[in-house]
Amino acid sequence: MQEDNKKDNKKDNKNNRRDFLRKSLITGGVLAAGAIGLEKVFSKEGEKTSTDDTTVFTRDGKVFRADMECLHEYKAPPVTNEEARKGIAGKKFVMVFDLAKCDGCKKCTEACQAMHFTEPDREWIKVYKMKDAETTAPYYMPKPCFHCDNPPCTKVCPVGATFKRQDGIVLIDDERCIGCRSCLAACPYSTRFFNWSDPIQPVAVANIPYSPEHGFPRQRGTSEKCDFCPHMIREGKMPACVTGCPMQTIYFGDQNEDAVTNSAGVTVKLSQLLEDNSAYRYMEELGTEPRVYYLPPKNRKYPKPDMESIGKEKKDDGKKPNSDMGNMVM
Amino acid sequence: MSKTIYPDSNIPAELSVEVIREDSLRPTRKWGRSTQIWLGCLLMVAGWGLYAYIHQLRHGLGETAMRNYVSWGLYISTFVFFIGISHSGTLVSAILRITKQDWRMPITRIAELMTFVSLLFGGIMPIIDLGRPDRIANLVIFGRVQSPLMWDVMSILTYFTGSTIFLWLPMIPDMALSRDRLTVCDSRFKKFRKWLYTKLAIGWTGSKTQWKRLELVMTIMTIVIIPVAVSVHTVVSYIFAMTLRPGWNSTVFGPYFVAGALYSGSAIVILAMVVFRKLYHLEKYITYRHFDLMGRVVLALTLIYAYLNLNEYWIPAYKMATAEGHLLHDLFSGSYSTAFWLCQFGTVLFPIIVMCFPKGRTPGMLAFICSLIAVGAWVKRYLIVVPTLLHPFLPIQDVPQDWAQYFPNWVEWSVTMGALSGILIVITLYAKLFPMMSIWEVVHGAKVEENKRIATEKGEHEEEELLKAESVHAKTSKGKTTIVMANGNK
Amino acid sequence: MNIMKIFSITTAAVLLCGVSFAQAQKSESSIQLSFSKKTDNSKIVNALVMGKKSGEKFSPAKNAHISFYAKKEKELVLITKSITDGQGKTNALLPKDLPLDTGRYFGITVKLENDSVYENSEEELRLKDVNLAIQLNPHDTARIMTATVTEITADGNVKGVKDVPINFYVQRLFGIMPAAEEHTVNTNEKGEAVFSFPKGIPGDTAGNMTVVARIDDNDMYGTVESQSPCAWGKVVPLEKDPFPREIWGAQAPWGLIITLSILYGGVWFCYFFMFFQLRKIKTEEDLTVNS
Ligand code: SF4
Ligand code: SF4
Repeated sequence: MQEDNKKDNKKDNKNNRRDFLRKSLITGGVLAAGAIGLEKVFSKEGEKTSTDDTTVFTRDGKVFRADMECLHEYKAPPVTNEEARKGIAGKKFVMVFDLAKCDGCKKCTEACQAMHFTEPDREWIKVYKMKDAETTAPYYMPKPCFHCDNPPCTKVCPVGATFKRQDGIVLIDDERCIGCRSCLAACPYSTRFFNWSDPIQPVAVANIPYSPEHGFPRQRGTSEKCDFCPHMIREGKMPACVTGCPMQTIYFGDQNEDAVTNSAGVTVKLSQLLEDNSAYRYMEELGTEPRVYYLPPKNRKYPKPDMESIGKEKKDDGKKPNSDMGNMVM
Repeated sequence: MSKTIYPDSNIPAELSVEVIREDSLRPTRKWGRSTQIWLGCLLMVAGWGLYAYIHQLRHGLGETAMRNYVSWGLYISTFVFFIGISHSGTLVSAILRITKQDWRMPITRIAELMTFVSLLFGGIMPIIDLGRPDRIANLVIFGRVQSPLMWDVMSILTYFTGSTIFLWLPMIPDMALSRDRLTVCDSRFKKFRKWLYTKLAIGWTGSKTQWKRLELVMTIMTIVIIPVAVSVHTVVSYIFAMTLRPGWNSTVFGPYFVAGALYSGSAIVILAMVVFRKLYHLEKYITYRHFDLMGRVVLALTLIYAYLNLNEYWIPAYKMATAEGHLLHDLFSGSYSTAFWLCQFGTVLFPIIVMCFPKGRTPGMLAFICSLIAVGAWVKRYLIVVPTLLHPFLPIQDVPQDWAQYFPNWVEWSVTMGALSGILIVITLYAKLFPMMSIWEVVHGAKVEENKRIATEKGEHEEEELLKAESVHAKTSKGKTTIVMANGNK
Repeated sequence: MNIMKIFSITTAAVLLCGVSFAQAQKSESSIQLSFSKKTDNSKIVNALVMGKKSGEKFSPAKNAHISFYAKKEKELVLITKSITDGQGKTNALLPKDLPLDTGRYFGITVKLENDSVYENSEEELRLKDVNLAIQLNPHDTARIMTATVTEITADGNVKGVKDVPINFYVQRLFGIMPAAEEHTVNTNEKGEAVFSFPKGIPGDTAGNMTVVARIDDNDMYGTVESQSPCAWGKVVPLEKDPFPREIWGAQAPWGLIITLSILYGGVWFCYFFMFFQLRKIKTEEDLTVNS
């Protein structure tokens, strides 16, 4: 009995929250002030909610802008946690990167960050400047989560907070994660991020009901990573990075349909695309079986990346950028 | 007291039962000024550690130096180190018990205590490291047995339970003794002690059936605890070895960690032996011979550890596979090279050479060598955890500066030092409440020695017979000698 | 709170400044139009507005106010007004009774006017209204698909349109995929284009899928499309066990569970046996024979 009451209360709370959100969105502007320590959050009044920008202050006083354009999509309740764990039946999502087209503009990263309200240092899809050996050609390599079919990260999670769905997507349930960071250690591709401190996010975002399918609002002490935008897929739309790529580098689709589509809406046969371009998966020898393919950067359509510039780009956080080259051959 | 110590004996044979008992119990009866000051200092450090931890709880793990690349740092290294020390108890106590090494008797208690406390705090370290300690119940609600971390939880719980029992079982007769002699005690906490000893003695009277049962239970425990101990450090290594990371992706990691654990654990036992021998005036019991023998044990374990080190580094270094190569370059000649070579030469090779000589196995030398080993083992854990995390397959590019480097900050140091002083507090409290030697075992050892002496003197070899004759309480059951002690003043 | 007030006032002031500054120097603008007609005969005009500040490149114009007009004889009749989204895009659904001129053409004019940020500009579209229909037998094993392009002549008759390139596609999750490498067929005199549908294209669990015939971005007709469901796809069965007992799965493989149970069960059994024995030690207290 008591349990039921509790559950109802919870539901009510959620509904209230949703109602509140809907109302505030309908009214249009939200002037919200969040005072968590030094972090202040506000959004200006606009004619149309879809074009509101929210300015958020990072811990050290720098400003970054979160595009609130996507907000309207979350006034509807997300799918239940159970459905989010199961995924979409009969689908197997894949992503293909045509490296010959990538010019390293990082528009995919920007689109992703706007979609997920991430802090600027969390690049769920990161564009690397690669050069495998002294004598080989440099190229740009955008890297999302590979949504491995044999995912090392999922294996090691002690509580099943990270899980693999039937549509191939690997997600994290931030409401279950205990923050042990085994998955950060286990992912060989440095794909995962951790919310070390209280997340910096607009109050309007913090009020959205949580779903593993979009990974926000964030919670301190939990991990996060690229999620292939399942909440967009459910609306029949492609992930933010795919549509955000101006070079049409990224293809996304359903392997079962044998088709992938890029930002220009060009849909091609997946198997043929992979075959014609001798596609490969990054570090196949690790046996993680990524769901992400790369087409080799042959006949590039962009100037080659300047390897000298690594670490010299200005970073948003104002700190001295890192110039550690890790495993890179210079 | 006579200075005669039989050349091959462990305990001076002529010590009477009474002397042994009083020598063991005496230190537990008084809380000197120095104990109070020592405890006060430790409590201050622990309190500061607690403050740092509360600070971390309030503001999140962002208060530590850990970031996305180095997502495990000092806490996890310390965890591995503490779990490593916990192997001492099993080794000295269980292995020597099983191999019937009688000289173990005065030092088993110390070894078992080390196991108990280091496991207690070793088990706490990963919880301190959690981002959401409030959700710890999820481990039970949603636990996945496929996760090495889950194996850790299970193994550590099992080992902790086991080693607690293992510490307590040989204590039972001693507890009865403490209970019965409480009248001599001048402590202010008499009531509490009375209650504690009575509870822990579980109604021990020293009857024949009780001795038989204790014997049985001890035998079972001695056998069970060894595989459990091995499993613990093996699965601790698995949280690293089960990943694909260069430097961790290694098949010798299980044995490597177990060897490392035994190596550091036995060194810690020697350190504790030195300390308690001095403080509790146990020179008569813990003799040069004990140090000599323990020194040999540590030497053997260090050799094994050195051999596994060779496997762990020489094999990949010979091949220099891409990603592994970058890590090894960093360890051999890069930013971690000083620490790495100091560890290898200063705390593995140097101790081996020193301990090869009998002069190197004297208490003084061993105290020095074993301190080196303890520090070296800790640093080595750090060198296993951190550099690998800084050498992922994909390069670290254009990230905030603090992501690409790691050195523990004040929060981590404070919490870790707090945990360390926690260990020392528990040890101190224990040593001030309970006898640090297993009295009945030492008495037994003394009798065995005495009988040996008499046997050699008389030129007779029917030891069984003599045992019967000399010890009033010796009873032979099923052809096996069981020494039974009376419980004294009741 | 006070701080917040000052803060918002300042922000408002900054915004106003920005606006007045923008008014002083408007950005250049341009409009691109495209037309599409769907299976249900709905007609949509898509507009993409680009803006350019002096000295910069053209980029999508957010929040531009544009109006859609239909051309009726010489006049412009307002259809609707709209504001562009973040990508500078917007669209308008055209009315059913769209005025046609004598050649069965219709004209649409889109204007960007009186916008505070962008200069005025306009763009015109003049296209012919044709119908596209597809006939197929969904269970036909020969998989023949016929698309017919027709127009209604001025006297009200239906007439096939010849030489119109028609592309054949299948509908996929995020777009339409060419049904074959050679997927374009021109219509004949009767306005018909016949396409034989290839095998092996995956459908759903029952082999169902949607086929699409389309006139793509034609100078004369715009984009006209027609869809139809059929069962010509390859059957892609549902995974038998989408959540296998795997190391990475939610549930552990039996082997692992059994092994762990035996190992830990064994140890804990010993522990409990021991506790049992120890309890006996306790209860034997009274039987003391201190001999
Ligand atoms: S890329 Fe990393 S985070 Fe993504 S599924 Fe693979 S192992 Fe997991
Ligand atoms: S950090 Fe969270 S998601 Fe990652 S392994 Fe630990 S509990 Fe699972």
